[in-house]
Amino acid sequence: MPSSVPLPRGTRSPAPVVVPLAVAILAATSCAVANSGGGGDTGDAGDTLRIVLAQEPPTLEPCEASLTDTGVVVRSNISEPLIERDPTTGELEPLLATTWRQRTPTTWELDLRPDVTFHDGTTMTSEDAAFSIDRAVNSDLACNVDGYVFGDERLELEVVDEHRLAVTTTDPDPILPLRLSFIEVVPRTTSTEAKVREPVGTGPYLIERWETGVSISLRRNDDYWGEPPAYPRARYVWRSEPSVRAAMINNGEADLSTALNPEDATEDNSVAYPNNETTALRLDGREAPLDDIRVRRAIGLAIDRRAIVDTLFDGLADPAAQLVPDGVVGHNPDLPIDPPDPDRARALIAEAAADGVPVDRRITLIARNAQFPRVAETAEAIQYQLASVGLDVRIQMADTAAHLEYQLRPFPEDVGPVALLVMHGNQAGDAAFTTSQYLLSDGPQSTFGSPELDQLISEAGELSDDARQEAFAAIFAHQNDTLVQYTHLAHMRGLLGRSPSIHYEPNAATGDELRLAEVRPAREEAR
Amino acid sequence: MLTFLRRRVVSSAIPLVFVVLGVFCLARLTGNPVNLYLPLSATPEQRAEFAAAHGFDQPIVTQLADYLTSLLVLDFGESLRTGQPAAEMVLAAFPATLQLAGVTMLIAIAGAVLLGCAAAYRPNSLADRVASILSMTAASIPDFWFAIMGVLVFGVTLEWLPTSGVSGGPEVWILPIATLLIRPFGVLVQVVRGAMVTALAAPYTKVARSKGASEKRVVFGHALRNAAMPALTVAGDLTIGLVNGAVVVETIFGWPGIGKLMIDSILQRDFAVLQAAVLITALTIFALNILIDVCYALLDSRVRQTVPA
Repeated sequence: MPSSVPLPRGTRSPAPVVVPLAVAILAATSCAVANSGGGGDTGDAGDTLRIVLAQEPPTLEPCEASLTDTGVVVRSNISEPLIERDPTTGELEPLLATTWRQRTPTTWELDLRPDVTFHDGTTMTSEDAAFSIDRAVNSDLACNVDGYVFGDERLELEVVDEHRLAVTTTDPDPILPLRLSFIEVVPRTTSTEAKVREPVGTGPYLIERWETGVSISLRRNDDYWGEPPAYPRARYVWRSEPSVRAAMINNGEADLSTALNPEDATEDNSVAYPNNETTALRLDGREAPLDDIRVRRAIGLAIDRRAIVDTLFDGLADPAAQLVPDGVVGHNPDLPIDPPDPDRARALIAEAAADGVPVDRRITLIARNAQFPRVAETAEAIQYQLASVGLDVRIQMADTAAHLEYQLRPFPEDVGPVALLVMHGNQAGDAAFTTSQYLLSDGPQSTFGSPELDQLISEAGELSDDARQEAFAAIFAHQNDTLVQYTHLAHMRGLLGRSPSIHYEPNAATGDELRLAEVRPAREEAR
Repeated sequence: MLTFLRRRVVSSAIPLVFVVLGVFCLARLTGNPVNLYLPLSATPEQRAEFAAAHGFDQPIVTQLADYLTSLLVLDFGESLRTGQPAAEMVLAAFPATLQLAGVTMLIAIAGAVLLGCAAAYRPNSLADRVASILSMTAASIPDFWFAIMGVLVFGVTLEWLPTSGVSGGPEVWILPIATLLIRPFGVLVQVVRGAMVTALAAPYTKVARSKGASEKRVVFGHALRNAAMPALTVAGDLTIGLVNGAVVVETIFGWPGIGKLMIDSILQRDFAVLQAAVLITALTIFALNILIDVCYALLDSRVRQTVPA
């Protein structure tokens, strides 16, 4: 039986318990958070440019700069390449190298700037440049840039004089300068035994402090050879939740934020930019019913790209007909975008069924969690649209590691027909980097191909200028006409969080290379 | 007491061994990390080389033997992702979680005892109803929703608190603790209230009153002491849950604790860090369990006596 005895007068409050507790709690919360180093993690507004990223960089090793999480901090901020590619025009521009020329079909010669010093005070010479290329491409460090840009290629390096360097390839390589634009220059004192976590470079900023798990602080390089950046300091923090990143821009805790979601974006806190990413369905042509080109064509005709772009991507994309967007060498502007035609799709499937193709076999549509905003809804829309033309599709959402099992050779066995939702970013600006991966018969991310297409890709790789553009454009047309391994969805646009207090115009490379020196205070711009 | 402790240590150590083995084996069932760490265009030779360098090409029994051998010399291995020693990363992150969990449970227990006692002292009163509604609501609100709403309301709209992060003074603790607090507080209030209602109606409480004990002594000295056992059990479980990683709070508020570290390690297949994090967390939980058992024994001598010699 519950007690209902009234509290008698004079009963003392439990203050003797509460007061020490309150003191303990106050004492605890007035201490710095462990693992935070006791410092601020967003910096002071005004002289510090504050950037919030989605993830903490795993490392700042320059030879890993082709990794998005690393490159967005390192590239052109802490370290710099010899040559840089203008993300808007696609043209190569001088950076640490002033000029370059093809001396023989296999040898390129570069002249370096004489007035560049590293953050440690040493002068940059061609020996450093040769060392950096050798370390990134020829060493056993397994640098990401090596696999991504150079593959199996080994380079011969010759120091002609203090400021001139010659690079020789095994076979003629008309885009070697473009490839070299991915290599960041480090002093020759950098370790060749192991990757470095906090590098020395030549960039406009140097690393002041990395509080693991909390923030990375950069300080302006007062001896920078180029125009000094506007902000004396920069500080990166990371929040994996897009709403929090947007909130930090909204209340003035951050000036820039990568990857906002459309639902958090407003005109005041963000700006859209083409990010060179293209989404597509990769159809495994080794498994029935996807081994029949009529079924693959039917999938392309069943999908309403415009509806997906307008409703799920909030208009922040354009329907696509190929794997690379405008601005990449090899983009074919004449490829038509299939309008949805469910009747034609059903007819093709009926035709295939009449020829004995098991069109009722279940297709697994695999998508990666958080690959882009509303990816799960996109998969559901595709599932519905394919079901409406008579295909049986089930969705399997996967994390990055599980998705990679399907994306890369060797592909999993006995998993039936797979339609893999992929997002490809060609940041190099040349279709060779796409075709070698996605269209070659034995490409690491290609499930099938044809000897004819392989030959076209091989020949296109040896061409330059207009001939190269036309050859790769023809390859994308060939894919759509004769193979249909890909049903393209959209050329995507990213959302960069941007505070009204700064001036910065994002470009196609911003997601991978956020150049802090290009950021100016808005009040300075207004003057 | 020493016999009691020895028995408890032995019985708690057995699950610890299973946790270590289980995490080692289950982590490896999630797939090969090689693809995550090499460029998409890496050749099969490069992949094989990477796997061999990190021992992933060995049979799982060999990998386990290597792991256990290294553990004997307290070598937890290196993070695949950052190249840092795994133990160093875990030991750097763990105190931040312990701080958060400790303060949260301190507030939750103090608040629950006060509110639970008040509600039980006058059942069906306004205070009791308010406590019930408050605690049920708190226990039912999803923490991620509460966290985001807290950021939007107090961080963005009112601008009273920082949206996230760990810089500054006590204000940085408020939203993370409030988010983390809602569930333990809601549960504990109900447990304390229920136990106190029973205790206040028990014959020994009546005897205490009949002997002229003050109401403070009746409530806090007699009833609460007996009602503390179920509350202690639940509080122990809830504390273990928080120590195990306040994943949502750490992720949303950028708190550099072990929950976020563990999630990142799982997603990145960073086995060394994952194993170190689980082992160190399991050891802490193991110690917490011993502490809870000791508290039981101190509160109730019957517990000490039930342990066979």
